[in-house]
Amino acid sequence: MRGLARWWSSIAFRQALTYAVLVIITMAILLIIVYEESVGTWRSRVDRQIESTTHRLVEYYQRNGSDALAAHIASLLGDGIDSDTEVYTLIGADGRKVAGNLTVTANLTRPTPAIEDFPVERAGRPSHSRLSVSSLGDGALLVVGRDMQDLQAFDELMRRASLWGGLATIAMAIAGALLFRRQLEHRISAIRRTALEIERGDLAQRVPISLKDDEFARLSRDINAMLDRIHDLMEGVRHVSNTVAHNIRTPLSRVMARLDTARAAGDASTQVPLAVETAITEIQDINIVLDKLLRIAEVESGTRRQAFKALAVNAIAVDALDLYDALAETRGLTLSHTFAQNPTTNGDGDLLANAVANLLDNAVKYTPSGGRIHVETHSEGSQVSISVRDSGRGIPEAVRAQVGTRFFRVDRSVPGSGLGLASVRAIAHLHGGSLELLDGAPGLIARLILPASSPS
Amino acid sequence: MRRCLVIEDDPDNAEYVARGLADQGWLVTLCPDATDAVGRAIDQTWDVIVLDRMLPDDVDGLSILEALRSQGRRTPVLVLSALGATDERVRGLKAGCDDYLTKPFSLDELAARIEALVRRSQPEHAPREIRVADLRIDLISRSVDRAGRAIPLQPREFRLLAYLMLNHGRTVTRSMLLESVWDYRFDPQTNLIDVHISRLRNKIDRDAAPPLIHTVRGVGYSLAADPPASPGEP
Repeated sequence: MRGLARWWSSIAFRQALTYAVLVIITMAILLIIVYEESVGTWRSRVDRQIESTTHRLVEYYQRNGSDALAAHIASLLGDGIDSDTEVYTLIGADGRKVAGNLTVTANLTRPTPAIEDFPVERAGRPSHSRLSVSSLGDGALLVVGRDMQDLQAFDELMRRASLWGGLATIAMAIAGALLFRRQLEHRISAIRRTALEIERGDLAQRVPISLKDDEFARLSRDINAMLDRIHDLMEGVRHVSNTVAHNIRTPLSRVMARLDTARAAGDASTQVPLAVETAITEIQDINIVLDKLLRIAEVESGTRRQAFKALAVNAIAVDALDLYDALAETRGLTLSHTFAQNPTTNGDGDLLANAVANLLDNAVKYTPSGGRIHVETHSEGSQVSISVRDSGRGIPEAVRAQVGTRFFRVDRSVPGSGLGLASVRAIAHLHGGSLELLDGAPGLIARLILPASSPS
Repeated sequence: MRRCLVIEDDPDNAEYVARGLADQGWLVTLCPDATDAVGRAIDQTWDVIVLDRMLPDDVDGLSILEALRSQGRRTPVLVLSALGATDERVRGLKAGCDDYLTKPFSLDELAARIEALVRRSQPEHAPREIRVADLRIDLISRSVDRAGRAIPLQPREFRLLAYLMLNHGRTVTRSMLLESVWDYRFDPQTNLIDVHISRLRNKIDRDAAPPLIHTVRGVGYSLAADPPASPGEP
């Protein structure tokens, strides 16, 4: 029983068996159709023949009388044509056989309305025959029929063929199931071995890809791509924890150093208020860094997607311009804009507002007095975008790809956390968009690209 | 005297908050125990409650807040949390808190936010018009005049002034202004808010005396007839 359960738990076995059952059913249907078509046609031809012969003999009797018919029957039986299958018998009004080849006629006492199957005795041996019993008018009966013994032989043949055919199919199905199962297990075991190795901690393992470009090769490639992605993510996490540790430990060690110096100098020293001031500023900065990191992590987790709704992109840009126009003017910067006709996107309004404000904050920070900042919204096909273009010194081509990774800073002399563009990039990704940094020659074009929402 | 309940299990932090608020004229009661907290928050009438998110035995401060709100108590609640991210903030506001501040924070920020909370919770918090010295703002007709002379303001300038006027005599921080007037929650790397204040000052204080908009060093701004007493100065 347990062995059977084990077999049954194999999907290959179950599938092969299912196919076998389907094949057997198909075969059975085929046999039934063949049988019905061949035997049925033959039987109706026999019936037509019986009918016409009966008709002819009844006419013969009416014309020539009982004795002539008896003689005619005797000659039909003796002519050697169909003599081993034909049945003719004339039964007199007194119920006794006058002529013919049926040995027992006791069960033939009245005419039948149609041609029927009868168990009779013909030429001394039992026989299944199709018979027509007709009344000849004066109480005499005429029996015309055909022995169907050969049909029974055919039936027997069909039965045997079905039985052996069925058995052979089942045997083939079981053999197929075993073979199929073995092949499947062979292919799957490669994947399982890799999974086991990875579970044991060897993350470098990959599923070997077979040369055949079949379903398993494709599955293996998908699994390997997934493993590569996991590997990249883990590398990313490791990199982030390292940089986070670095970016928090550095200010902490500065605070430690200051406090240590102050302690050594004694309570009355001028070092004490300086150390306190440094400690507070540095800790505030650490706090800001942690807050930004948490926000980026939250954006990357994707939970905010639940709050997405349709947003007018121009309104987001207008709000950001409204926030920054005073600052730009104070710094001697010209802030201008061009807007596309009502671009819309699906998203989180707060996050997108923050992203645009971050881009403007950067532009104001890095553009020298007398420069220009231009905000542009754009709509093309399935994309909308908000670009902030400044006339500052831009970002050198060589490091542009690195900008937007956490803590990367082009110019460390300008204050900042190195998290602003990282957060914009995370927000862009959350929305299914991207952040493009292009050479504005001169200056930088930071373009936040978002998928357009269908107008609804 | 105004009464404040501080639900916070960390003794150092609780002491720090209590001392800071006492200096601002608050009568502070500390409650370090989460099991006690719901009863105390509901039973007595507080002007404001400061609630820590992470309490001992895995109690989430928000459950205390929810219990309080389900009893129909509208006491203003400020939630303190080391869980700073936006989502957590949204959860806090959904649970019925009135403001959310992430740890670590400066006492000035906490005190300023508590003052604003208490002001909002008072029944007369939506007046038609406010006067400070000779400056008058009409919140319905959205007009401003000083010493009888009308001062035209941009919509954002009006909102900024309205916020300062509603909180007149109290200190408001830059992040409070960014949140309330512009509805942004981020940390500008620039002196964004100072520039807006300086423009507003130009319109309100330039041709009139005494100046009404004062800078509170290291904290933010305050609008008042008299400059705020600074503890650092003699």
